Amino acid sequence: MSGALHWATLAAYLVATVLYLAFVIWQRRGLHIVGRAVLWAGFCLHSLALGSAWWETGVLPATTLRQSLDVFSWGLMGASLLVNLRLNVMILGALIAPLCALLLLAASVLAVPSAPPSKLMTSVWVPVHVISVLAAYGLLALTFLSGALYLLQDRLIRAKKLGAAFKRLPPLSRLDSLNHNALVAGFTLLTIGLITGAVYAQIKLGSYWRWDPKEIWALITWLLYAVLIHTRLVQGWRGRRGAWLGALAFGVLLFTFVGVGLLFPGYHAFDSLPKLEGTLP
Amino acid sequence: MNLVLVGLNHKTAPVEVRECLAPAPEDLGDRLAELLKLGGVREVVMLATCNRVEVLAAVEGGEVAGAIGAWLADGKPLDPKTVADYLYVHQGEEAVRHLFRVASSLDSLVVGEPQILGQIKEAYRAAAAGGSSRTVLNRLLHKTFQVAKRVRTETNIGGAAVSVSFAAVELAKKIFDDLHGLHALLVGAGEMAELAAEHLRANGVERVLVANRTLERAVELAERLGGGEGAGRAYGLNDLPEVLGQVDIVITSTGASQPVITQELAKKALKRRRGNPVFFIDIAVPRDVEPAVSELDGCFVYDIDDLTQVVEANRESRLGEAAQAERIVAEEVVKFNRWLGSLDVVPTIADMTQKADAIRAAELARTLHDLGGLQPGQEAALEHLTRAMMKKFLHDPIMFLKDQHAHASESSRREHLALVRRMFRLGENGEE
Repeated sequence: MSGALHWATLAAYLVATVLYLAFVIWQRRGLHIVGRAVLWAGFCLHSLALGSAWWETGVLPATTLRQSLDVFSWGLMGASLLVNLRLNVMILGALIAPLCALLLLAASVLAVPSAPPSKLMTSVWVPVHVISVLAAYGLLALTFLSGALYLLQDRLIRAKKLGAAFKRLPPLSRLDSLNHNALVAGFTLLTIGLITGAVYAQIKLGSYWRWDPKEIWALITWLLYAVLIHTRLVQGWRGRRGAWLGALAFGVLLFTFVGVGLLFPGYHAFDSLPKLEGTLP
Repeated sequence: MNLVLVGLNHKTAPVEVRECLAPAPEDLGDRLAELLKLGGVREVVMLATCNRVEVLAAVEGGEVAGAIGAWLADGKPLDPKTVADYLYVHQGEEAVRHLFRVASSLDSLVVGEPQILGQIKEAYRAAAAGGSSRTVLNRLLHKTFQVAKRVRTETNIGGAAVSVSFAAVELAKKIFDDLHGLHALLVGAGEMAELAAEHLRANGVERVLVANRTLERAVELAERLGGGEGAGRAYGLNDLPEVLGQVDIVITSTGASQPVITQELAKKALKRRRGNPVFFIDIAVPRDVEPAVSELDGCFVYDIDDLTQVVEANRESRLGEAAQAERIVAEEVVKFNRWLGSLDVVPTIADMTQKADAIRAAELARTLHDLGGLQPGQEAALEHLTRAMMKKFLHDPIMFLKDQHAHASESSRREHLALVRRMFRLGENGEE
């Protein structure tokens, strides 16, 4: 069941990608409206797919890289659809639709987990921790994307190149609001995710902090985003400087998410999560 | 006598070159006097706006255009050779056409913008006051004002006034998204800046502040741009450091020779605004906003040249109106040339004789009709009598004109010819 829903979601995101591509070229508002509707439909299918997978195994499907990418793309899509309800950055769909489609494709080719999920993953703390962190990743990816678009538009305006790209990109202040909202929401969720993770580790594994690579890198990421929020809110680092710092923070985040899970051994690594049992030494 | 126009505009030269060649308003009188000293220059008018520097001269002999071009570059920190590349030269009919087109705003950065006519009037006033505009240029400039007026009333070219202010609003929307609740500041109280401010207000800008060298003018303008209580929104230029932190859009149009908005000033303003962006629209030449300001994060600076690109897109829609305006210009060029050509001894004598003979013939016909039934011999005698009277009467004026041809200097001859034509109401000259 969840498999069929997964492919249906991917199909919806691909259709939306084509629609948004056409929108970028021809700038017809109708294409954006249809594309957005398809994305919402795709997001609903995506939610159902994840929900049914959760139902089938009894564990939130986020213990392997495959599943994490799946949930991450769900978080990214949900975040951008929600933020866009108010800000209406139409071009965003043209970036998010192909990106989420790619993430789902990547998830599809990765190995299906063979071992049954660990009993440790059935607690209610786990979905709160995982969903918070992955939704935060989605929002922070949105922060990065809006920052990149900001840099591009800023550069076009400064270079006085007021051509096709200038017309298609949204106004700077709207990108700035998008950046701001996604950053604040993403940072809040990241904080919640880290705290719940720590608390659950204390309950099940006996300590809040275990110097695991994932934990260390997650803390570094969190600190970088704390700096980003501080410079933005207190020192008024908006625009270019904020966007560059945001890009750096997102690079570290990606490493924490994918790199650390694959490269470093540790209880939090993707291949050891399913085997996690009882209290760690 | 020939007309020569030497100049450069926003199409041929970048703003740096234009602002370098434009004389300070207070020096204009001296510049005109210098021009009159160039060999062959008889009359001269000099026009300097943000978009063009042009010298219009009535000259004798050739090669004067080159001398004017060299004079423009003389003493400037520019290579005379490069300056020569930026210049255009129009002679005779082409010079007249160019002037008419400029005055009708057909040659403007923003086709149809209304300020140029006032600027030409100002240039003419300066030349007339210094005595450098006489018979030919007086006539040409007056005609120019009429042409511009005709174009404005007979076409809708100004009505669309898709102007620099329009472009500024489009850009502001790409920076601020929604202009509602924003504050704008005018630095300097030029007409163009006022137009832009009105446009911004029409698009939602909440408050317009005015900073000006003279406070009275600032108060007056602030009142016009927001109904009453202008004093609260008017400042002197010294208040700039304080005011700059309160506004989102700044339109500068002072006549200052040094930048009014320095990088340091902009930096302070940005700090107070906590990184909120500021959009500078600099329509002054020389520029009011230091180029280094545009390097700051959150500072966007557009000068008059940059706005061209935004305006370009709107140009198409007004091509129809422009074509009609061009037709009017062409018509008027022909008329003026007819007049210019008539300012010579032979056509003036011919016109005078022709007019006198026409009066004589008309009166004779009426008398013959009244008398009725005269004998052929008597009719011939009357004919002879009137013709002789006319010839004798015209003899002295004609001798005077021929004498002019032989002896008087070109410029005094032109003045005398113009006077004679006016006295006898001859041809085009007599119509007004």
